[in-house]
Amino acid sequence: MMALQIGLLCGLVVFSLLAVLLRDILKAAISLAVASLLLGILFFRLDAPYAGAFEISVVAGLITVLFVVTIALTKAEGGVHESRAAAWIFPLFFVVFLVIDFLVMRRLIGQVASLPAPAEAGTFGQVLWKGRTFDLIAQVGVIFAGVFAVLALFRKRSKHE
Amino acid sequence: MSNVWLLYMGFAAVLLFAGLYCLLTMRNLIKLFIGVEVIGKAVTLGIIATGATKNSILTAQALAVTFIVVEVCVVATALAIIINVYRHTKSLDIRKLTQLKG
Repeated sequence: MMALQIGLLCGLVVFSLLAVLLRDILKAAISLAVASLLLGILFFRLDAPYAGAFEISVVAGLITVLFVVTIALTKAEGGVHESRAAAWIFPLFFVVFLVIDFLVMRRLIGQVASLPAPAEAGTFGQVLWKGRTFDLIAQVGVIFAGVFAVLALFRKRSKHE
Repeated sequence: MSNVWLLYMGFAAVLLFAGLYCLLTMRNLIKLFIGVEVIGKAVTLGIIATGATKNSILTAQALAVTFIVVEVCVVATALAIIINVYRHTKSLDIRKLTQLKG
Protein backbone atom coordinates (compact mmCIF):
# COMPACT_ATOMS: atom_id res chain seq x y z
CA MET A 1 0.00 0.00 0.00
CA MET A 2 2.85 2.37 0.84
CA ALA A 3 4.44 1.62 -2.56
CA LEU A 4 1.33 2.98 -4.30
CA GLN A 5 1.48 6.19 -2.26
CA ILE A 6 5.18 6.65 -3.01
CA GLY A 7 4.40 6.08 -6.69
CA LEU A 8 1.68 8.75 -6.54
CA LEU A 9 4.08 11.16 -4.80
CA CYS A 10 6.76 10.53 -7.44
CA GLY A 11 4.19 11.10 -10.21
CA LEU A 12 3.07 14.31 -8.48
CA VAL A 13 6.65 15.62 -8.38
CA VAL A 14 7.36 14.59 -12.01
CA PHE A 15 4.23 16.27 -13.43
CA SER A 16 4.78 19.38 -11.27
CA LEU A 17 8.34 19.63 -12.62
CA LEU A 18 6.99 19.20 -16.16
CA ALA A 19 4.52 22.03 -15.49
CA VAL A 20 7.42 24.25 -14.41
CA LEU A 21 9.90 23.27 -17.14
CA LEU A 22 7.77 22.78 -20.30
CA ARG A 23 8.02 25.74 -22.68
CA ASP A 24 4.53 25.17 -24.16
CA ILE A 25 2.17 26.86 -21.67
CA LEU A 26 -0.81 24.69 -22.67
CA LYS A 27 1.16 21.48 -22.04
CA ALA A 28 2.35 22.96 -18.74
CA ALA A 29 -1.26 23.65 -17.68
CA ILE A 30 -2.29 20.08 -18.59
CA SER A 31 0.69 18.69 -16.63
CA LEU A 32 -0.47 20.75 -13.65
CA ALA A 33 -3.96 19.22 -13.99
CA VAL A 34 -2.48 15.69 -14.02
CA ALA A 35 -0.44 16.55 -10.90
CA SER A 36 -3.64 17.73 -9.19
CA LEU A 37 -5.38 14.51 -10.20
CA LEU A 38 -2.58 12.42 -8.65
CA LEU A 39 -2.69 14.56 -5.49
CA GLY A 40 -6.46 14.01 -5.28
CA ILE A 41 -6.02 10.23 -5.58
CA LEU A 42 -3.36 10.42 -2.84
CA PHE A 43 -5.84 12.26 -0.60
CA PHE A 44 -8.35 9.43 -1.12
CA ARG A 45 -5.60 6.97 -0.11
CA LEU A 46 -4.96 9.04 3.06
CA ASP A 47 -8.64 8.76 4.09
CA ALA A 48 -9.38 12.37 3.12
CA PRO A 49 -12.19 11.93 0.55
CA TYR A 50 -13.63 15.45 0.83
CA ALA A 51 -10.26 17.12 0.26
CA GLY A 52 -9.63 14.64 -2.61
CA ALA A 53 -12.95 15.44 -4.25
CA PHE A 54 -12.27 19.18 -3.93
CA GLU A 55 -8.75 18.78 -5.30
CA ILE A 56 -9.91 16.81 -8.35
CA SER A 57 -13.05 18.80 -9.17
CA VAL A 58 -11.91 22.33 -8.33
CA VAL A 59 -8.12 22.38 -8.78
CA ALA A 60 -7.77 19.77 -11.56
CA GLY A 61 -11.01 20.87 -13.25
CA LEU A 62 -11.92 24.50 -12.66
CA ILE A 63 -8.43 26.01 -12.36
CA THR A 64 -7.27 24.13 -15.48
CA VAL A 65 -10.23 25.55 -17.39
CA LEU A 66 -9.32 29.05 -16.17
CA PHE A 67 -5.72 28.54 -17.31
CA VAL A 68 -6.80 27.24 -20.74
CA VAL A 69 -9.22 30.17 -21.20
CA THR A 70 -6.45 32.62 -20.28
CA ILE A 71 -4.05 30.94 -22.73
CA ALA A 72 -6.75 31.13 -25.43
CA LEU A 73 -7.38 34.84 -24.75
CA THR A 74 -3.69 35.65 -24.90
CA LYS A 75 -1.08 34.30 -27.28
CA ALA A 76 0.37 31.03 -25.99
CA GLU A 77 3.90 32.33 -25.53
CA GLY A 78 2.93 35.97 -25.14
CA GLY A 79 6.13 37.09 -26.84
CA VAL A 80 8.21 35.96 -23.86
CA HIS A 81 11.63 34.40 -24.31
CA GLU A 82 12.63 32.48 -21.22
CA SER A 83 16.24 32.44 -20.15
CA ARG A 84 17.97 29.29 -21.45
CA ALA A 85 20.54 29.44 -18.65
CA ALA A 86 17.77 28.85 -16.10
CA ALA A 87 16.81 25.56 -17.79
CA TRP A 88 20.43 24.33 -17.54
CA ILE A 89 21.01 25.49 -13.97
CA PHE A 90 17.78 23.96 -12.67
CA PRO A 91 18.87 20.28 -12.68
CA LEU A 92 22.05 21.20 -10.78
CA PHE A 93 20.19 23.13 -8.09
CA PHE A 94 17.52 20.42 -7.96
CA VAL A 95 20.05 17.64 -7.29
CA VAL A 96 21.79 19.76 -4.61
CA PHE A 97 18.43 20.50 -3.03
CA LEU A 98 17.44 16.80 -3.09
CA VAL A 99 20.67 15.82 -1.31
CA ILE A 100 20.23 18.54 1.34
CA ASP A 101 16.54 17.64 1.71
CA PHE A 102 17.37 13.94 2.19
CA LEU A 103 20.16 14.62 4.71
CA VAL A 104 18.07 17.09 6.77
CA MET A 105 15.01 14.82 6.82
CA ARG A 106 17.14 11.81 7.76
CA ARG A 107 18.72 13.77 10.60
CA LEU A 108 15.33 14.98 11.86
CA ILE A 109 13.91 11.45 12.21
CA GLY A 110 13.56 10.67 15.91
CA GLN A 111 14.83 14.08 16.98
CA VAL A 112 11.73 16.22 16.56
CA ALA A 113 9.41 15.85 19.52
CA SER A 114 5.90 14.71 18.69
CA LEU A 115 3.08 16.85 20.10
CA PRO A 116 0.18 14.96 21.71
CA ALA A 117 -2.89 14.89 19.48
CA PRO A 118 -6.24 13.79 20.94
CA ALA A 119 -8.35 11.58 18.71
CA GLU A 120 -11.06 13.43 16.76
CA ALA A 121 -14.71 12.65 17.26
CA GLY A 122 -17.69 13.23 14.97
CA THR A 123 -17.99 13.58 11.22
CA PHE A 124 -16.41 15.91 8.67
CA GLY A 125 -19.59 17.99 8.58
CA GLN A 126 -19.55 18.50 12.34
CA VAL A 127 -15.89 19.53 12.32
CA LEU A 128 -16.39 21.89 9.35
CA TRP A 129 -19.65 23.55 10.44
CA LYS A 130 -19.10 23.61 14.21
CA GLY A 131 -15.33 23.55 14.69
CA ARG A 132 -14.26 25.74 11.75
CA THR A 133 -17.23 28.13 11.49
CA PHE A 134 -15.01 31.20 11.30
CA ASP A 135 -13.18 29.66 8.32
CA LEU A 136 -16.49 29.32 6.48
CA ILE A 137 -17.34 33.00 7.09
CA ALA A 138 -13.91 33.95 5.76
CA GLN A 139 -14.46 31.70 2.72
CA VAL A 140 -17.70 33.51 1.88
CA GLY A 141 -15.87 36.83 2.17
CA VAL A 142 -13.03 35.65 -0.07
CA ILE A 143 -15.46 34.32 -2.71
CA PHE A 144 -17.30 37.67 -2.81
CA ALA A 145 -13.98 39.53 -3.01
CA GLY A 146 -12.92 37.32 -5.96
CA VAL A 147 -16.23 37.79 -7.80
CA PHE A 148 -16.17 41.59 -7.37
CA ALA A 149 -12.52 41.74 -8.41
CA VAL A 150 -13.20 39.80 -11.64
CA LEU A 151 -16.30 41.96 -12.35
CA ALA A 152 -14.26 45.14 -11.80
CA LEU A 153 -11.45 43.93 -14.05
CA PHE A 154 -13.78 42.97 -16.93
CA ARG A 155 -16.25 45.85 -16.70
CA LYS A 156 -16.95 47.72 -19.90
CA ARG A 157 -15.44 51.17 -19.99
CA SER A 158 -17.75 54.10 -20.64
CA LYS A 159 -17.05 56.51 -23.51
CA HIS A 160 -15.73 59.17 -21.10
CA GLU A 161 -13.00 56.76 -19.88
CA MET B 1 7.53 12.23 14.43
CA SER B 2 7.06 9.26 12.21
CA ASN B 3 9.19 8.40 9.21
CA VAL B 4 6.06 8.50 7.00
CA TRP B 5 5.37 12.12 7.97
CA LEU B 6 8.95 13.10 7.14
CA LEU B 7 8.64 11.31 3.79
CA TYR B 8 5.58 13.41 2.92
CA MET B 9 7.29 16.57 4.14
CA GLY B 10 10.31 15.73 1.98
CA PHE B 11 8.12 15.48 -1.14
CA ALA B 12 6.30 18.69 -0.12
CA ALA B 13 9.67 20.43 0.21
CA VAL B 14 10.62 19.31 -3.33
CA LEU B 15 7.35 20.75 -4.70
CA LEU B 16 7.96 23.98 -2.77
CA PHE B 17 11.45 24.23 -4.26
CA ALA B 18 10.15 23.67 -7.79
CA GLY B 19 7.48 26.38 -7.33
CA LEU B 20 9.95 28.87 -5.85
CA TYR B 21 12.40 28.16 -8.69
CA CYS B 22 9.62 28.88 -11.21
CA LEU B 23 8.78 32.17 -9.46
CA LEU B 24 12.42 33.26 -9.37
CA THR B 25 13.48 32.39 -12.92
CA MET B 26 10.49 32.50 -15.30
CA ARG B 27 9.32 35.64 -17.12
CA ASN B 28 5.94 34.53 -18.48
CA LEU B 29 3.08 35.71 -16.22
CA ILE B 30 1.06 32.50 -16.71
CA LYS B 31 4.15 30.41 -15.94
CA LEU B 32 4.65 32.41 -12.74
CA PHE B 33 1.14 31.52 -11.69
CA ILE B 34 1.77 27.87 -12.46
CA GLY B 35 4.63 28.19 -9.95
CA VAL B 36 2.21 29.58 -7.36
CA GLU B 37 -0.09 26.60 -8.03
CA VAL B 38 2.80 24.14 -7.48
CA ILE B 39 3.56 25.83 -4.13
CA GLY B 40 -0.14 25.51 -3.29
CA LYS B 41 0.05 21.77 -3.95
CA ALA B 42 2.99 21.51 -1.54
CA VAL B 43 0.97 23.29 1.15
CA THR B 44 -2.12 21.10 0.63
CA LEU B 45 0.00 17.95 0.70
CA GLY B 46 1.64 19.12 3.95
CA ILE B 47 -1.72 19.84 5.62
CA ILE B 48 -3.33 16.51 4.68
CA ALA B 49 -0.21 14.41 5.39
CA THR B 50 0.15 16.00 8.83
CA GLY B 51 -3.53 15.39 9.58
CA ALA B 52 -3.33 11.77 8.40
CA THR B 53 -0.26 10.94 10.50
CA LYS B 54 -1.48 12.84 13.60
CA ASN B 55 -5.01 11.34 13.58
CA SER B 56 -6.55 14.77 12.86
CA ILE B 57 -7.68 14.10 9.32
CA LEU B 58 -11.08 15.81 9.73
CA THR B 59 -9.58 19.15 10.81
CA ALA B 60 -6.91 18.78 8.11
CA GLN B 61 -9.60 18.25 5.46
CA ALA B 62 -11.49 21.34 6.66
CA LEU B 63 -8.30 23.41 6.41
CA ALA B 64 -7.47 21.95 2.98
CA VAL B 65 -10.95 22.76 1.65
CA THR B 66 -10.61 26.34 2.95
CA PHE B 67 -7.20 26.63 1.30
CA ILE B 68 -8.54 25.32 -2.03
CA VAL B 69 -11.42 27.84 -2.02
CA VAL B 70 -9.01 30.71 -1.32
CA GLU B 71 -6.66 29.37 -4.04
CA VAL B 72 -9.44 29.38 -6.65
CA CYS B 73 -10.39 32.99 -5.85
CA VAL B 74 -6.75 34.08 -6.03
CA VAL B 75 -6.22 32.29 -9.37
CA ALA B 76 -9.42 33.73 -10.91
CA THR B 77 -8.49 37.28 -9.89
CA ALA B 78 -4.85 36.91 -10.95
CA LEU B 79 -5.74 35.46 -14.37
CA ALA B 80 -8.18 38.36 -14.92
CA ILE B 81 -5.32 40.76 -14.11
CA ILE B 82 -3.03 38.85 -16.51
CA ILE B 83 -5.59 39.21 -19.34
CA ASN B 84 -5.85 42.95 -18.65
CA VAL B 85 -2.06 43.27 -18.60
CA TYR B 86 -1.89 41.46 -21.96
CA ARG B 87 -4.48 43.84 -23.45
CA HIS B 88 -2.41 46.82 -22.34
CA THR B 89 1.13 45.64 -23.12
CA LYS B 90 0.42 42.98 -25.85
CA SER B 91 2.87 40.76 -24.01
CA LEU B 92 2.99 38.40 -21.04
CA ASP B 93 6.56 39.36 -20.20
CA ILE B 94 6.91 40.36 -16.54
CA ARG B 95 9.70 42.79 -17.48
CA LYS B 96 7.26 44.88 -19.54
CA LEU B 97 5.47 45.77 -16.32
CA THR B 98 8.44 47.89 -15.28
CA GLN B 99 7.07 50.50 -17.70
CA LEU B 100 4.31 51.16 -15.18
CA LYS B 101 6.70 52.69 -12.68
CA GLY B 102 7.22 56.44 -12.23
